[in-house]
Amino acid sequence: MSYTPFILASYLLGTVILSWAAFAPVLKKRTLLRQLKARQARMDKSQ
Amino acid sequence: MNPIMLFIHKTGSPPWFYQKTGYLIPWLWAIFLVLTAIGLYLGFVKAPVDYQQGTTVRIMYLHVPSAWMSMMIYGFMAIMGFIALVWRIRMLEVLVISSAPVGAAFTMIALLTGSMWGRPMWGTFWVWDARLTSELVLLFLYFGVIALYNAYDEPRKAARAASLLSIVGAFNLPIIYFSVEWWNTLHQGSSFGGDGPGIHPEMLWPLLIMATAVKFFYGANLLTRARLTLLKQDHRKRWVQDLVSEEH
Repeated sequence: MSYTPFILASYLLGTVILSWAAFAPVLKKRTLLRQLKARQARMDKSQ
Repeated sequence: MNPIMLFIHKTGSPPWFYQKTGYLIPWLWAIFLVLTAIGLYLGFVKAPVDYQQGTTVRIMYLHVPSAWMSMMIYGFMAIMGFIALVWRIRMLEVLVISSAPVGAAFTMIALLTGSMWGRPMWGTFWVWDARLTSELVLLFLYFGVIALYNAYDEPRKAARAASLLSIVGAFNLPIIYFSVEWWNTLHQGSSFGGDGPGIHPEMLWPLLIMATAVKFFYGANLLTRARLTLLKQDHRKRWVQDLVSEEH
């Protein structure tokens, strides 16, 4: 029995989950800052 | 004020925390990547295969550090949650909330990689064994903390509820740790210390290096998430508005 698929699947799953954990907050922060900038621009325009 | 108290007070200030951790995070990621590269090189190239497990022992270099982290992070959450509730320290509430997704990620990895190891070694992906079941309960506890925090509109109230659940859920940690001793489980006992079978240094070193690497991952990811949580909670405050203006 070849164990390679099980080892590869383990490291692939680990990479996917850790990548999600690492990049999700970065992407969310980018979106939030964009929204805050847009809000600030609207407020500046209205003043 | 003595330097330690001064540091604690400064850390409690969101703008100070946001600014200083911004410098620290890239270093934590860099150390994580370097240690992971060394650990994987030693684990895959230098370490021998196990005489019983064969090459599946390579899964251990990811599974064991993840399982340790899953418990360690929950332990931290319980301690930080307790201090946050007693002394009403907002930064610790933020750290509890920010830790939960990272802990859940490591618990998922521990469970999935354990399954991948279990299939060739035990002949099954899953058994309702005490160690596996208590680790699954830990994953549900992490989900519970995340869900509870998101169920409230008021962030401080939400964080306090999540902190309380972190403390209550800590009862599961000794169950996970001692499950292999208290019950007759398929999962093997600890290989470290005591009566454990011990590990050859060529296998031990990559395991310890990977265990150290994931701690840096936790540090970097925790601080990144804590900064995001602060931005969300304080988006109407002056320091966030100044920050947004500076980035224009």
